[in-house]
Amino acid sequence: MAPPSSHCPRKKRKLPSSFAGSNDSLIVDSGGKSSPAFPLVSFLWSARAGVSQWLVLPLILMAVGLFRWAVSLWGYSGFGVPPMHGDFEAQRHWMEITIHLPISKWYLYDLQYWGLDYPPLTAYHSWLLGKLGSLFNPAWFALDASRGFEDPLLKVFMRATVIVSEYLIYIPAVVNFLRRFTRMQSVPVWSASIALAAILLQPATILIDHGHFQYNTVMLGLVVASLDAILAGRMLWACIFFVGALGFKQMALYYAPVMFAFLLGVCIFPKIRFLRLISISLVTLVAFAVLFAPMLIGALSIEAREALALAPQPPLLQALPVELDKHSMLYAVVFQLTQIIHRVFPFARGLFEDKVANAWCAIHTFYKLHRFEATLLQRMSLGATLASIVVPCAMIFRHPRASLLLPALSTVAWGFFLFSFQVHEKSVLLPLLPMTLLLAGDGGLSKETRAWVGWANMLGSWTMYPLLKRDELRLPYFVITLLWAYLLGLPPTSLETFRSRSQEDSIPGAELHVLTKLLHSCFYLAMIAWHVLEAFVAPPPGKPDLWVVLNAVIGAGGFGIAYLWCLWKLVQQSCRIDQKAEETEKKNQ
Amino acid sequence: MTDLYPSLAQCAIVATAFKILLFPAYKSTDFEVHRNWLAITHSLPVKEWYYEKTSEWTLDYPPFFAAFEWVLSQAARYADPAMLVVNNLTYDSWQTIYFQRATVIVTELVLLFALSRFVKSVSPSNKHLAHIASLSIFLSPGLLIIDHIHFQYNGFLYGILILSIVLARKQSTLLYSGISFAVLLCLKHIYLYLALAYFVYLLRVYCLDPKSIFRPRFFNIIKLGVCVVGVFAVAFGPFASWGQLLQLKDRLFPFSRGLCHAYWAPNVWAMYSFADRALIPFAPRLGLPINQDALASVTRGLVGDTSFAVLPEVTKEHTFALTFLFQLLPLTKLWRNPEWETFVGAITLCGYASFLFGWHVHEKAVLLIIIPFSLIALKDRRYFSAFRPLAVAGHVSLFPLLFTAAEFPTKTVYTILWLVLFLYVFDQVAPVSERRRIFVADRFSLLYITIAIPLIVYCSVGHQLIFGLERYEFLPLMFMSSYTALGVVGSWIGFMVVYFTA
Repeated sequence: MAPPSSHCPRKKRKLPSSFAGSNDSLIVDSGGKSSPAFPLVSFLWSARAGVSQWLVLPLILMAVGLFRWAVSLWGYSGFGVPPMHGDFEAQRHWMEITIHLPISKWYLYDLQYWGLDYPPLTAYHSWLLGKLGSLFNPAWFALDASRGFEDPLLKVFMRATVIVSEYLIYIPAVVNFLRRFTRMQSVPVWSASIALAAILLQPATILIDHGHFQYNTVMLGLVVASLDAILAGRMLWACIFFVGALGFKQMALYYAPVMFAFLLGVCIFPKIRFLRLISISLVTLVAFAVLFAPMLIGALSIEAREALALAPQPPLLQALPVELDKHSMLYAVVFQLTQIIHRVFPFARGLFEDKVANAWCAIHTFYKLHRFEATLLQRMSLGATLASIVVPCAMIFRHPRASLLLPALSTVAWGFFLFSFQVHEKSVLLPLLPMTLLLAGDGGLSKETRAWVGWANMLGSWTMYPLLKRDELRLPYFVITLLWAYLLGLPPTSLETFRSRSQEDSIPGAELHVLTKLLHSCFYLAMIAWHVLEAFVAPPPGKPDLWVVLNAVIGAGGFGIAYLWCLWKLVQQSCRIDQKAEETEKKNQ
Repeated sequence: MTDLYPSLAQCAIVATAFKILLFPAYKSTDFEVHRNWLAITHSLPVKEWYYEKTSEWTLDYPPFFAAFEWVLSQAARYADPAMLVVNNLTYDSWQTIYFQRATVIVTELVLLFALSRFVKSVSPSNKHLAHIASLSIFLSPGLLIIDHIHFQYNGFLYGILILSIVLARKQSTLLYSGISFAVLLCLKHIYLYLALAYFVYLLRVYCLDPKSIFRPRFFNIIKLGVCVVGVFAVAFGPFASWGQLLQLKDRLFPFSRGLCHAYWAPNVWAMYSFADRALIPFAPRLGLPINQDALASVTRGLVGDTSFAVLPEVTKEHTFALTFLFQLLPLTKLWRNPEWETFVGAITLCGYASFLFGWHVHEKAVLLIIIPFSLIALKDRRYFSAFRPLAVAGHVSLFPLLFTAAEFPTKTVYTILWLVLFLYVFDQVAPVSERRRIFVADRFSLLYITIAIPLIVYCSVGHQLIFGLERYEFLPLMFMSSYTALGVVGSWIGFMVVYFTA
């Protein structure tokens, strides 16, 4: 903390169209005295000037790490629920099978009991963690004998692997991305630190990864690393990281159309660059090849080939028009490849599972979708998804600007979440990540963006409440979401975003539109009312899932609005780019 | 500076969120101790409180604390009545855990209130310093580790202590300061260690004329006397009338315990044991006799009873004499110069003396030094130099309290976060002293902090990797306590110099 008396708040001319590098949205001036706009700002108040990032950054990382670790003391998915347990057991089981079985059997072993159904990078990651864990206690990962093992020390180890993976991948990626992104958008360092703290405290991610138990941050971190590489102009690294993300969790496909459109766009606009196009496609192919290579090489040995020849064929292989010799090397390779694809993309399942807050579940509530055939539903879902993503993809293709990536990614991910096939409630993390990263952009901490991003995050966590409740994570859910709302000055803890500051401010985004206020307050009230209902009123007999369905329907409505808001942001920002381009053209003439 | 951000309330909200998340964390036997007291006070008549011994954790706090437990038990009924059954030993349903943990958080509001009063009591030009010191106390890793993980009610008790220190600031509230300290003594008798400083200060500034010590103010003496005696009468009167005072004495002062509570409390006796151990190989060469009994037990120091192989035994009388001597020294200065800051300094030094030389000192008692010291640590840079090694050593010495794997990241990361943040901020804001700084002291504290890092790594990870879990398990504890003892003693000497030259 520098001697604060020497600090005088920077007075910058307010530009009409942007916040251009000022801290105005963080500091409230009242009668010559400046005060922080929301609590998170006041926690970093002393870091306004003259404090090194070498101090601020470690402190933020330690603080958010403490909250993660504290959440991880609570229950996890499937604790004490034999025989299948839950995601925790699935991840542990994968560590168990990958360290004990030859690589050719990873995707074949006892598929009924949590068979591996994530892409190869998850399998390698599990192998590494299983090897590490066996150093501590081999009994944690003994083949078959360790099923359903619930040692408290095992829990500590597993929780530690999540946090270490996150601190090795997600956190460096987010920190680097923000550094580049804020510099590009000329956001002051102080604002950037506040945005970083806000992003790293995103409640849904903490609750799912450190509470429910998953490794989403690894995949999300690779996506952010890919975005960071794009900002740095290293398109080939971007491809590699994104292939990594896809190879860790197939859910990264939600982002794939935008990445594809963007990378194609940079090769075509403003002028066509074949060399770039070729190198991008080559690197992508090579990355995929490297990703699958250990799997395929593992299938080549004689024992592996014999084992594969006896195994039941995956449907995709059956559908192949050619008949292969069952003992040939080619058969082994094709078998392994098709088996992985079959495991990773379970087309045979229904349109949606459980009650998830997307369009299909919402429609199903009022108009039963069972009456249609599965193939028709699949086509409908495909059509609706394509329709929802075609506009943003076209825009990012025509204007392949790094600054448009975040709104485009969130729009497309919302489209996928709302309309695609086989969506999990946890998939809401995917649209939430790029949307939350908007906080670091130009004017990202202004009332408008903060209110919308905050609202979407609150809604996202709220739709996962039924899931978290099953994991005995009720208290952490309330603590972490309310803490986030409190720190960002959002309802239900504060009405700061709804209040008008002063009349003279006329920057767009400085005050919320009346309709926004109305809409947000309706949703917040609905969420509160729902919690009260769920806690104190038993659902009517015959409809035990009524509250969960209600949650999904409200959530789907809200996510639809979030989709529209992201789309509107995208349009707005690309219009601004067009305007600027025109202005510079005029100047040049 | 007028902008005090983040405010105490904001910190309290975020800290409370963190503390609630720590509900399922490790809890020590103290959790069961307090549950048992809830049960005793709730289901037995007052007459039997100090006689009940179903559980091994009998009631050994003074009557007001028992009454405090009784008040809590009235609310506990609604959470889970089963926790109030005396025979329900080691009962810990989740309602019980939530309830007891929540009472710690709620009663800590007393500390928050006291700290806000402290900030208000300071002149505007120094308000930011008081604010920073208050934040450092409220967010103290000591309180987090001891209260919110290990389980005790120190936040509440230290809140009353700080309140009474703040009340001692103004002539008009001195009486209330005395009363609140008397109440505090009837809550937990460990604060007897600080009583001499209160006695001297109140006698000097309240009972005698400030200008001349030979003019007693009789009305004040009567007021204070009646109030303090009244407080003790309320607390102990009923038990005296039932003839239970001897039983209370036995419960409150169990002198059958050993010199060192464990190897952990970083005081002079820990260094003494370390020296004793280190002397064993040299003893034959120096011609010293070796006590064979002491040599036999390898786990010496881990159990309560300590005996020395080479160095002379230490008796209770020795420890009392030393404690009294080193309390008396600062009190002479307080007598001559009865300022509020000298008073806080004297309290701190009384805490030091009793912690360093006391009989059977708990490592938790280090808060008795850190918390009063925090109030004056920002007076100038010399005070801060003395405070720095104490902040490191005092908090690190609490680490062995939590030995479970899940709590390791919490305790270390939180403590490091606190140390980095507050030592940096203190360093930035502490005003330059009017007197010259002591070069040696500064270098000592820097060197001292540097050693902490490899030592913590060795004790928490390295030792197990080298020797395994079973062998020489006393070694890290002994290193830790000797190292932290060095820090506490170093800061004590440093502060003595500052105190007497100020």
